[in-house]
Amino acid sequence: MRRVTVPSAGAVPELAGVGVGWRPEISGWVADRPGLRFGEVIAESIAPAVPPRGVVELRERGVEVVPHGIRLSLGGTDPLDPGKVTHLAACAAALGSPVVSEHVAFCGAGGLTAGHLLPLPRTRAALDVLAANVRRLQAELDVPVALEPIASFLDWPEDEFTEADFLTELLERTGALLLLDVANVYANAVNRGRDPRTALDRMPLSRIAYVHIAGGAEHPDDPGIYHDTHADPVPEPVFALLGELVDRIGGAPPVMLERDGRYPPAEVLSAELDRIAETAGLATPAR
Amino acid sequence: MTGPRSDHDGRADVEELAIRQAELVAALVAGGASPAGFDPARLAATRRALLRKRAGEAAKAWPLLAAAHGAAWPAVFAEHCAGRPPAGPLRDGWDVARALRAGGRLPEAAVTELAEREAALHYDGTSAPTPRRWRRLRRRFFGLRRA
Repeated sequence: MRRVTVPSAGAVPELAGVGVGWRPEISGWVADRPGLRFGEVIAESIAPAVPPRGVVELRERGVEVVPHGIRLSLGGTDPLDPGKVTHLAACAAALGSPVVSEHVAFCGAGGLTAGHLLPLPRTRAALDVLAANVRRLQAELDVPVALEPIASFLDWPEDEFTEADFLTELLERTGALLLLDVANVYANAVNRGRDPRTALDRMPLSRIAYVHIAGGAEHPDDPGIYHDTHADPVPEPVFALLGELVDRIGGAPPVMLERDGRYPPAEVLSAELDRIAETAGLATPAR
Repeated sequence: MTGPRSDHDGRADVEELAIRQAELVAALVAGGASPAGFDPARLAATRRALLRKRAGEAAKAWPLLAAAHGAAWPAVFAEHCAGRPPAGPLRDGWDVARALRAGGRLPEAAVTELAEREAALHYDGTSAPTPRRWRRLRRRFFGLRRA
């Protein structure tokens, strides 16, 4: 494998270059893909004592693997599940991960689970809950945690902060890093008739650990709403926003593709990853 | 509101947040009333998006059931699961399969899939399915004592 020297955002020195979210359905493609520098695995989908074969092979190739939690409900008022916290820490230990990640969201309340990440009201009370839960998570981790703002088109009437101010305050209070998803920034802006570039400008970009990019589309049932599906190609304006991000931070951040469904053929995925590398100013690996 | 409070009463604010979060989740997945102040169209779109996501996950647990419906699967899933809280992909798909069977609408291609699941696991429709083998063992060792 040809190693390329690439700049990194520096917050997590072990992370650099281009990566991909490992999923069982694309394990074969990931195994064959040259030049991967890092990846992610959904924490709730693995047993740390016996990680999936494909993930173990990535580690053997020297590819960093970040456990990505999706069910901790860090912004939820229900008590944080200690078992899920321990599980995330165990995943990081088992994979030798340089960082773990979770979301600025909640997953359920009042005994009901939503089955997906829900937006929080951007209020002082929500910040208090989030910060306390993030600190509890940090207390069990030997590595930093990166927090990802989610894509949502639903606004709480209680909102007191802009998304960027809310995040900045959260990261300042907890010392956590930012997992910036440029597709989420795009979705949140266009679904409110705003310019994604302005939204990007206001984000705490100096705190970036790594970057997500993913596809999305409008759904025929909901005209005028862009859905961050992770099951469609990355649209042109999202690539453009990645380019804008690279311009703003003066270098290529570690950036990875998230694809969660309707998987295209390997060559289509490869072309998309090449395009991400090219847009970010990262060398395209030898094929 | 929950009694007198000031702007700096963090605890009361968190209690209020808990109520609002529970209202929103109930409205999105359990047929609850729309919480005050949210855009009704955006709430409805979120409800549909959550159902589509669940349908996709259930399709992975029930590949033959989903494939038998093709592009109509998300609509078939939503018809049964709208207003019902997520029970996880295995149970969500199981509930749909049983409802279809009860209505005589279970596609031929999905009959074996359901039969195999029912042979391997005991599912009471309300709690996590358990292996039938465990149930037999439990009955053998504890059954008499209970009687």
